[in-house]
Amino acid sequence: MSDVLTFVLPALLQLVLVLVLAPLICGIIGKTKARFQHRQGAGILQPYYDLAKLLRKEVVISSVASWVFRCTPYLVFASTCLIALLVPTVVVPLPLDRVGDIITVISLFALGRFFVALVGLDTGSAFGGLGASREMSIASIIEPAMMLAIFTAAVTAGSTNLSIIVAKLSSTPASMMNPAHLLAFSGLFIVTMAETGRIPVDNPDTHLELTMIHEAMILEYSGRYLAFVEWSSQMKLVIFLALLSNMFFPLGMAASMSPWALCVGGAAFFAKVIVLAAVVAVVESTNAKLRLFRVPELLMVAFILSLLALILYFIIGA
Amino acid sequence: MSTILFALLLGLPATGTVLCAVFHSRRVLETITVAGAGLTFLSALWLVTTVMQVRALSTPQEWWYADGLSAYVAAVVSGSALVVALYSTGYLRRQVRHRHVDGRQLWLYYLLLNAFLFTMMVVLLSNNLGVLWIGSEATTLATAFLVAFYEREGSIEAAWKYVIICSVGIALALFGIILTYFSALHVVPASGNALNWSSLMLVAKGLDPGVLKLAFIFVLVGFGTKAGLAPMHTWKPDAYGEAPAPISALMAAGLVNVALYSLMRFYILVNKAVGGSFASTLFIIFGLVSMAVAVPFILIQRDFKRLLAYSSVEHVGIIVFALGLATPLAYFGALLHLLNNAIAKTLLFLTASNVRMAYNSKIMRRVTGAIKVIPVSATFLLVGVFAITGSPPFGLFVSEFTIVSAGFAGGNVVPAVLFIGFNAAIFAGFIYYTSRMVFGEPHPPVKRGDADTLSLLLLGVLLAALLMLGVFIPSSLQECIENALTVLKG
Amino acid sequence: MDSTNLQTVGLLIDIFAAAILVTAFLVVSSRSLVFYIRLFALQSFFLGIVAFLVVLGYGETHILIAAVLTIAVKAIAIPFVLSRVIDRINVHKEVDFSINITVSLLLCGGMVILADSVAHSILDAQRADAPAVSRVLSVSIAMMLIGLFIMTTRKKAITQIVGLLTMENGVFLSGLSITYGMPLIVEVGIFFDILVAVLILGVFIFRINKTFESISIDSLRSLRE
Repeated sequence: MSDVLTFVLPALLQLVLVLVLAPLICGIIGKTKARFQHRQGAGILQPYYDLAKLLRKEVVISSVASWVFRCTPYLVFASTCLIALLVPTVVVPLPLDRVGDIITVISLFALGRFFVALVGLDTGSAFGGLGASREMSIASIIEPAMMLAIFTAAVTAGSTNLSIIVAKLSSTPASMMNPAHLLAFSGLFIVTMAETGRIPVDNPDTHLELTMIHEAMILEYSGRYLAFVEWSSQMKLVIFLALLSNMFFPLGMAASMSPWALCVGGAAFFAKVIVLAAVVAVVESTNAKLRLFRVPELLMVAFILSLLALILYFIIGA
Repeated sequence: MSTILFALLLGLPATGTVLCAVFHSRRVLETITVAGAGLTFLSALWLVTTVMQVRALSTPQEWWYADGLSAYVAAVVSGSALVVALYSTGYLRRQVRHRHVDGRQLWLYYLLLNAFLFTMMVVLLSNNLGVLWIGSEATTLATAFLVAFYEREGSIEAAWKYVIICSVGIALALFGIILTYFSALHVVPASGNALNWSSLMLVAKGLDPGVLKLAFIFVLVGFGTKAGLAPMHTWKPDAYGEAPAPISALMAAGLVNVALYSLMRFYILVNKAVGGSFASTLFIIFGLVSMAVAVPFILIQRDFKRLLAYSSVEHVGIIVFALGLATPLAYFGALLHLLNNAIAKTLLFLTASNVRMAYNSKIMRRVTGAIKVIPVSATFLLVGVFAITGSPPFGLFVSEFTIVSAGFAGGNVVPAVLFIGFNAAIFAGFIYYTSRMVFGEPHPPVKRGDADTLSLLLLGVLLAALLMLGVFIPSSLQECIENALTVLKG
Repeated sequence: MDSTNLQTVGLLIDIFAAAILVTAFLVVSSRSLVFYIRLFALQSFFLGIVAFLVVLGYGETHILIAAVLTIAVKAIAIPFVLSRVIDRINVHKEVDFSINITVSLLLCGGMVILADSVAHSILDAQRADAPAVSRVLSVSIAMMLIGLFIMTTRKKAITQIVGLLTMENGVFLSGLSITYGMPLIVEVGIFFDILVAVLILGVFIFRINKTFESISIDSLRSLRE
């Protein structure tokens, strides 16, 4: 019984938090971007209504689609939920930290990406194949960059276990300002923009051939499939923001399960994610999407920043 | 007493620069420059005699320092500057007459010439390695506009490459100097003195060898770029080819020696601190590479001034090679060669200028039958070429022979043999081109006439000096060189 | 200066040194001339701050003037001169490369590793306790290498100036890191030299533009052999 209380319940609560928060964060970003463009924009809660609407709608499937097409939405949703259970959000130590560490998280992301790319090919449409190939070429640079950035944090803490990383960092606040950390943070930030398909890498609001990457792969989805895929990508954004904020600046996280600590931790998490979301919105609004063959240059900058972070860690020390 | 000397040697060119900035009349500019250069040369000779008695001079704050080596090189450099200043008067008058140069350019020329001499003196007399660096970079800056003097396509390209490449080299040298300073900080009592060469020499044994070796590599690359050592020599043919001939002459006779002087200072320091053959081996390698690199470019050359530039690369290589042999005999040869090379280069560049003005072209193919058109200059040219390639009875033969003997005596047989081989090839190339230029029929008939009498007289004096040095070395010169030699031995 | 303050100063120096290195990399990753000059200004500004921090942390007051000069000359005056040059000659503001951005960035990353090993060989040799600032030596050597790289692989004349200035910044930073800077007169002289060099090169760029109608290095190929 105590097992349920200490591990399962907090984990489930964390999952529910991420599930519920994700559309809200995307709504906030959308609203901020609209304000930048001097529009009113849709309301903050619009993504919820969109998801609800999609769940009610009929599904249309291409005649050449296979079981991959039908399974992927659930698979991606499930893997994203699993990641949500593993990342640090409100509480440290994490309830499920023995189930998976940082490498598990990276692998689960890769799993999701793999299947979505397959879906792009599965439908037999030209757009899908286009999106899949673009996505994979971006992934080839982003994956190493992400790993290097995350390994810098892991090397500092001496372990890949997320709880240990966060705990080590929150116990020595001065090391949060370590240049290696700052560089890894900036590298990971660029990775976030690429992984979640935001400007300047990819435009999430467009369906033009010239500019789609992520949208191209999921173009054929409709109804509840589309709902799950959309929800998964929204959760992915929140998860990345949680990783960015808590792996590098774990301030105000709850150390115990007391209601007061949980409130503070929750508020801190919310605040951090909102701030980062605002930054994302500002970056999206102030930059133009890069031409496709310039994207590797930006990604290489992310890679180099992460590489520099690791090198600097060894030069300068923790 | 010493302060007066330093004040003269530094103050005269500086005053000359300032005065040139103020006055614009051609006569006044000429007088200032020639007088300034002449007085500087006399002061340098005075310094030479003083140092022979006192061993080393420095100012009270130890910013400036002079010993046998500084005095010798200062005399050579200021002497070249004097010759160039005298020649420039006739040269510029001709250029103005033919409307190649206007009044403003003339003024700029004399101004920068004085500044050039000043910056060279700063390098030669400074005790502080940082000031030595500042002076070296300043020489590049002072000559930048001189290289770009004529508004030709080639000139601007040459000047650009010159400033960029030399500044890069000098930046590397600065890093080397910083490393030297770093190694000295822990050993020298007052940190203000840790950059002074004289203080460094006193504590040389206490300096960290590893750091100093690394520092030496950077300094070698850096100042080697200024001297035109291969493979950092790529700016030389362009710069020497495009600059006005008297400036090329002063660069080949003055600037080169100043850069070699900086190299020598570090060489002495590193040899004392590190010992062994680290620095010498590097010098031998770079010297031989320079000579080797010069050979093909001399053999397939089309432009006479670029030919001379590659010859300069070769001779810098010879001097560095000789320094690398590290025996007293080799040092003697190196120092003597420094003088001989300076005289010969000045002679050849200025003669080349006469040829060019007569034929209106630098391309060797277009110059034929010079002996009939400008007999005096043509003779000087032919004889000068013999001199510079090391034929007897001229001075360069003596110095090169000394160096080769030192090589064989020290057991460096292979390098010495290579030395002879390279020289032979270069001799062949030079003679081939020059004989084509001097003999044969001039076509189309050119009748521009030779330079004025003063200039020709000047060249004759240089040639006579080369001849004399080939036959015997006056005892005063011998003493002077030996004085410098003792410094080199550390 | 007590130990915790020294630690904070050391940390700040590390951060700014890393920022300087990042600006150098951003220059390598960019195509825009204007951006190069702004990045250089930012880089020099950070360098000035590092110099100030050295004064603060180690009490070497003679660096104060060098710090002020760095900001005044390298962060303000020189970028101003360079942007004026660009405005006046009215060229294409894009830079051509001989090595593309992705490969360039990787090579520069390799250079940082190389610089680190060189720095270690210098510092290990010194048995006496090296000042805390000496960690920054790796960054300074890396800057020299990257500056050299920028000069050789970018094809506009202005970028060669930026590369040269980056190298000089690296040398100055190395001076700060292992020797707390050189005597004042030397530093002032060095600044003066650099400023004059930039002015001269700026004039040359005007002339190159006038002669060749462009400032691409490719046009400076007429002299051969």
